[in-house]
Amino acid sequence: MEVLRCNGIEKVFGKGANQVTALNGINLSIEKGEFVAIVGASGSGKSTLLHILGSVDKPTKGTVTVDGVDISGLSAADAAIFRRRKVGLVYQFYNLIPTLTVEKNILMPMLLDKRKPDTGYFKTIINTLGIADKMESLPSQLSGGQQQRAAIARSLIYRPAILLADEPTGNLDQKNSKEILDLLKLSNRNLQQTILLITHDEKIALEADRIVTIEDGKILRDDFTDTAKQHRSIPVETRR
Amino acid sequence: MWENYSKSYLKNNRASSISIMAAALAATMFLSLLCSIAYNFWIYEVEQITLEEGGWQGRIVCDRFDADDLSIVCQFANVEKAVVNEELSGCGETVIDIYFQNARTIYRDMPLISAQLGLEEDSIEYHSLLLSRYFIHDPEDTAPPMLLSMYLAILIIVAVSLILIIRSSFELSMNARIHQFGIFSSIGATPGQIRICLLQEAVVLSILPMIPGTLLGIFISYGAIEAINYFAADVSGRHEAAFQYHPSIFAFTVLISFLTVIFSAWIPARKLSRMTPLEAIRNTNDPLLRKKKHSPILSFLFGMKGELAGNALKAQKKSLRISTFSLLLSFLGFSIMLVFTTLADISTRYTYFERYQDAWDIMVTLKDTEISDFSLTEELQDISGIQDATVYQKAEAEIFLPEELQSNELTALGGLETIAGTPKTEGGFQVSAPVIILDDTSFLAFCSQINISPSLDGAVVLNQIWDSVNSNFRYKDYIPFVTDDHRTTMLYQNGQSVEIPVLSYTQTPPILREEYKNYALVHFIPLTLWKEKLRHTGDAEADSYIRIFSSGNASLTDLNSLEKEIRQLVSQQYEIQSENRVQERLSNDSLIYGMKVIFGAFCVLLALIGIANVFSNTLGFLRQRKREFARYMSIGFTPREMWKMFCIEGFVIAGKPLFLTLPLTVLFVQFAVTASYLDPMVFWSEAPVLPILIFAAAIVLFVALAYYIGGKRLLQCDLNETLKNDVSV
Repeated sequence: MEVLRCNGIEKVFGKGANQVTALNGINLSIEKGEFVAIVGASGSGKSTLLHILGSVDKPTKGTVTVDGVDISGLSAADAAIFRRRKVGLVYQFYNLIPTLTVEKNILMPMLLDKRKPDTGYFKTIINTLGIADKMESLPSQLSGGQQQRAAIARSLIYRPAILLADEPTGNLDQKNSKEILDLLKLSNRNLQQTILLITHDEKIALEADRIVTIEDGKILRDDFTDTAKQHRSIPVETRR
Repeated sequence: MWENYSKSYLKNNRASSISIMAAALAATMFLSLLCSIAYNFWIYEVEQITLEEGGWQGRIVCDRFDADDLSIVCQFANVEKAVVNEELSGCGETVIDIYFQNARTIYRDMPLISAQLGLEEDSIEYHSLLLSRYFIHDPEDTAPPMLLSMYLAILIIVAVSLILIIRSSFELSMNARIHQFGIFSSIGATPGQIRICLLQEAVVLSILPMIPGTLLGIFISYGAIEAINYFAADVSGRHEAAFQYHPSIFAFTVLISFLTVIFSAWIPARKLSRMTPLEAIRNTNDPLLRKKKHSPILSFLFGMKGELAGNALKAQKKSLRISTFSLLLSFLGFSIMLVFTTLADISTRYTYFERYQDAWDIMVTLKDTEISDFSLTEELQDISGIQDATVYQKAEAEIFLPEELQSNELTALGGLETIAGTPKTEGGFQVSAPVIILDDTSFLAFCSQINISPSLDGAVVLNQIWDSVNSNFRYKDYIPFVTDDHRTTMLYQNGQSVEIPVLSYTQTPPILREEYKNYALVHFIPLTLWKEKLRHTGDAEADSYIRIFSSGNASLTDLNSLEKEIRQLVSQQYEIQSENRVQERLSNDSLIYGMKVIFGAFCVLLALIGIANVFSNTLGFLRQRKREFARYMSIGFTPREMWKMFCIEGFVIAGKPLFLTLPLTVLFVQFAVTASYLDPMVFWSEAPVLPILIFAAAIVLFVALAYYIGGKRLLQCDLNETLKNDVSV
């Protein structure tokens, strides 16, 4: 089942002589449960694409459909509500609210909707991510790895249609990077969570099922990895 | 959730919250103080005018007015009441005082009333002074009184400055949180939710200090009124000001402060809602220039450091704008108030005390006493210490001046029509002829003074008219009014005419503490002549006066004891009011001093507001640029070079409001000095240059202090931590 489709996405910054075309006619489709990595050099447009897919930014041209909803034409308020419920965003630098506890940071999307969280699911996430004992801490009291786990937990709390991660390991050491990647893979495998990950590191990209290479605002290549091929050879019911 | 977020944010950012609350408290207090004081001043003015001249708004003066006519007036829709003024009516003239429900249409209604009564338009009079206090001016008046408008303008300037304090303290706090709200937006907070959060915080932080601030302002204004009463206690003829307050002032103050808070919170919320979440998250508060900018003067003077400083200031132009504007308003209000007080002081001295320095020492007002009924003239003149005592009374009359009797000098200037705007009727002019009745002894002395044979058989005419074409009201030149060959004059009073002989025409009036109308032909007559010819037709004022001249150098003690002796003599038989020149001068000085202290205190508060504002804004401005300065240091700027950059920026931030305000102040001075026809050199010799310079120096000092404190913190920060890009997406 297709969970994300974008057609003819263009993004232009600036005007006149200072105009820069960050994305130039991107067409992309992602199925539910896929783990996709978008790879490219610095300035290739990968982060720009991710932000547009997450409705954090608007395209100059083109349409983006997530879970059957065209998000490119949504108003600011509707886009925010959609983002809250259907998209999980993980940033390189965590972007936690410094004055709220970890628990409140994780539950924020639900609290914005004034909904009570599913306690069981919440506990599953924080236990899986290994931060159950940090709920009353402030972000400044956590290490980088712990903060990123909290950010991942926040992005998963609403069981979003798609989780978008922008260089989630860019600010972490090797050990923490591996742990975060493993957690993302775990959520992909166990929860059938669709993940789109941006990275400039090909080694990290190889952990995904599919690699989309982007250069100068265009998709250069779109391949399934060996891991994916291996994974696809295993029956779905035994993949977990 | 928002409640939790706001609570935790406020708890963890106490300094920011306290500064907002302090700003709200201070601004509300000053706004309340300002409005309350202005209201009391206005009420006092209206009371003073009403006490002295009555509360009537329109007046009809005519020969014949019966009960039916009064009924017609009372039935007019807008008329609240119409009463016969018994004091002024009589001798063939009836004066009706009219009070309107809505005085704003008085200039339309009075002509309608007079038309309905079949009267001419010149039977109408307006209480212009009282009406002007309600900003009701004659539409045909090309130069309406602007004093109250000027006060109102100063009030508005200062009020806006106070409002900007609340605004700028909010702006600093809100801008620092755009990144956080960007995060909220990226995970799904709607623009509406963010706006509500900001507004809720704004209300919570401001409501608490707003009410006490307003009450404190009322309390201080009460104190100010009492202080004025204390300083002005000895001023004769002044009624004590009673503190008054209207609930609408309270409502107005609270409403304006509240609206300012809401508006101040709404602006960053709106700014945020216009940004994409990405732009908000990326909002680093780093100064960003949209276009390449060049600071030629700073670059020329200071090289690279000047260019960097200039660019940083240009990039932060918007956020600095409010603090610059607020400081500019404070400084302007401060300067204008000082200049205005100085001008008023000079004007009072020139037009009153110095003019009458040698004219009187003691003045006694004989209440409701005709000069002919005063029998103590000789006893008075026998009191030792009195060099000269003149008893006099004033009366009104008119003459008809044929055109050909105007003096050659007056005719050369275009005649009465040109100089005074008096209309010509039947080949001549209706001219006011005030009559000053002197006691006989004084009149004879006056005759000797002007070198004519002393006689009690005629009048002496003050043959002068103000040459308004070639001179101004402050330095008046006079020319002869009439040709001086007529030996009689016909005075018209209360519909009757009396011919009296003229002993002489003079341009030297007797020494009295009197100012005469500019376009009147004043007649000085002895009491004997008054009794003989004019008493029964005369339109004399109710009171008489005694002008006493001691020696001119009498001390306060001497004059006080002389005044006491005079009072003892005269008050046994007559109801009197007395004042002595030295005491009056001292009382006036005390009053001026008191006003200066109060105004000065207000100006100092204004100054403090502006300085506190620029101090906190400068500090906040520096705090937001931690990363920028860390970059400079990381590429090799030495601490010494950083301090130079701080000095350049501080110089521009402090200097800009000063350089903008000083020319405006000079322009105001120029305008005010020209409008009051004062000699500019007289003003500049007393100009309040020192307090203004002190304020300017204080601004520079506090900006320097802010840069010193902020700069020291910046130079001590961990480069590594600061440069870590924790807001990059």
